[in-house]
Amino acid sequence: MSILDFLKFPIFQRALVGSIIAGGTVSLLGIVIVIFNLTTIRFALMHFGLLGGAIGLVFGGNPLTFALVSIAIGSLFFGPLSDKLKLDTGLIGALFMTGSIALAFLLFYKAGVPALDVFSLFTGSILTLTSNDLVFVSILGVVILLTYIILYKEIQLIFYDIEQAEWLGIPAKRIRNGLLFLTGLSIGVAMKIVGALLIDSLILLSAMAAIRISKNFKQLIILTSLFGIITTTGGLLFSMVFDFPTGATITLTGVLILIASIIFHK
Amino acid sequence: MKTNHALELNNIVMAYGKKVILHNVNLNIESGEFVSILGENGAGKTTLFKGILQLLPIEKGNIKVFDFDVTNGKDKTWLRSQIGYVPQVHGRGNFPISVFDATLLGRWGTSFSYFKNPTKEDRKITEEILEVVNLHHIKSEDCRKLSGGQTQRLNIARALVRNPRILLLDEPTTHLDVESKDNLDKTIRDIRNQYSLSIVMITHNQSHAETVSDRIVHLKNGMIYSEIGVKL
Repeated sequence: MSILDFLKFPIFQRALVGSIIAGGTVSLLGIVIVIFNLTTIRFALMHFGLLGGAIGLVFGGNPLTFALVSIAIGSLFFGPLSDKLKLDTGLIGALFMTGSIALAFLLFYKAGVPALDVFSLFTGSILTLTSNDLVFVSILGVVILLTYIILYKEIQLIFYDIEQAEWLGIPAKRIRNGLLFLTGLSIGVAMKIVGALLIDSLILLSAMAAIRISKNFKQLIILTSLFGIITTTGGLLFSMVFDFPTGATITLTGVLILIASIIFHK
Repeated sequence: MKTNHALELNNIVMAYGKKVILHNVNLNIESGEFVSILGENGAGKTTLFKGILQLLPIEKGNIKVFDFDVTNGKDKTWLRSQIGYVPQVHGRGNFPISVFDATLLGRWGTSFSYFKNPTKEDRKITEEILEVVNLHHIKSEDCRKLSGGQTQRLNIARALVRNPRILLLDEPTTHLDVESKDNLDKTIRDIRNQYSLSIVMITHNQSHAETVSDRIVHLKNGMIYSEIGVKL
C-alpha cells in the first residue's frame, strides 16, 4: 500500500494530524527540560503515572485517565516543592520517582493488582489516537504555542538568567512552574503517542539537536518545532511504508537528527 | 535631611530562618563612590546585595537609596530604575541567545514588558551600550561563544541599558585570566566616569579591590570588620 492508500483510513489520518501537532509543539517543552537540567523529571512523572494507574486499577477506574491526572498533579507540585524545600529540581525528581514507585508496589501488593496491567500503560502508539485524544493534543499544542508567543521575551530571559529575570520584576518562578506543568501534561501525551519508554524521542531529542545548532531564541523555537515535526511525521510515514513498528521508527528518526546535528555542528 | 548618600544601610539584620546572616550592618556609599566589599565565603556579602535588591527580606533596619526609604518592597519599580545588578556568573549557560538580545532584555520593565515590544529607542540605547563595553562588533554572536571576560562585559551592559545610578557587581572578575581582568577593570573605570555611577563590588581579591576602589569594607561573620580608604 502507498502512503495515500494508508491515509484513506481514519486511524492513519488521525495519526498524521496528531504527529504534526505534537511534533511541532510538545517538542518545544524539551527546551525547558534541557535548559533547567530536568532530565529526571520525565522518569519521575512517568513513575507518578504508574502510581496513578495503580490507584485507578485498585478503585476500578480507567488506569490511563488516573495516570494522566496524577502526572498533571505531580507536575503542578514539582516547581513549588523544589522552591519550598530549597532543593534542586533534579533532586525533587529523584524523590518523586522513588517515592511513587514504592507506593505503587505497596498498592499492587495490598490490593492484589497484577503489576503488569499497569506497565501496559507504558506502551502507547500513535495509531491508537482517538478523536478525543486529538482534541486534547490540539488544545495542548495551542496552549504551548501561545505561551511561547505571548511570553516570548520573558521566557527568553528566564532561560538565559532566571535571577536577573526575577530582579527585573518578571514572576520567573511562576512562569517556570507553568512551563513545568505543561511539560508534565506533554509527558502524558507522549506516553500515549510513542509509549512511555520512548517519550524522549518526542520531547527531548529535537530540542537537544536544535540547541546545538541555533544562535538565538527564535531559531531555537523554529528548529525545535521543525525537527519535532520531521521526527514524528517522518517516523510515522516511514513506518507505514516499510512496515516498521511506529514508536521505534519515530524514535530512530529523532536519534538520527540528533546524530546529524552533532556531526555537522561540532 | 538631604545627604550625599547614594546608598544608606542602617542597622541591617538579615536571616535565613533562624540563622542570622547579617548583624546590624551600617554602611553609607557616597554618590559617585566606588566601594569594594571583601570577605570570605559565607560572610554575608551576596545576602547583603539581595537585601538591597529586595530579593530577600530585611528583618530589621532600613535601606535608603538617594535618601528614599526602599526597605522591604517600597516602590520596587523605582528601585529597579536606580540600581543595575550584575549577578555572579556560575559557568556558561546552555541557552542560545544573541549578544544584542541578551543586552536588550535588560530593559524589560522600562519601556517594554509583557505585551509591549522593544521600541526603536530601546534598540538604540542597546547599540550605544554595546559600543561602550566594546561588544558591538559581535552583537549577533551567540552568547555561548563568548569568553569569560566578554560574558562579564555583556552582563554589565545588560545592567547599564536601564541607565542606573548605582551599579552592584557580584564578584565580576572570578574565573577571569589577568588580561580579561585588566580589560574588565578598564571597562568599569570607563563606565564609572561616563555615567557618574556609584559602584559597590563584592570581591575575594584584596589587591583587585585596592586597584579599583575608593574604599574597602571587610565583612566578617555578617558584621563590618573594618573599613579602609584607598588612595588612588
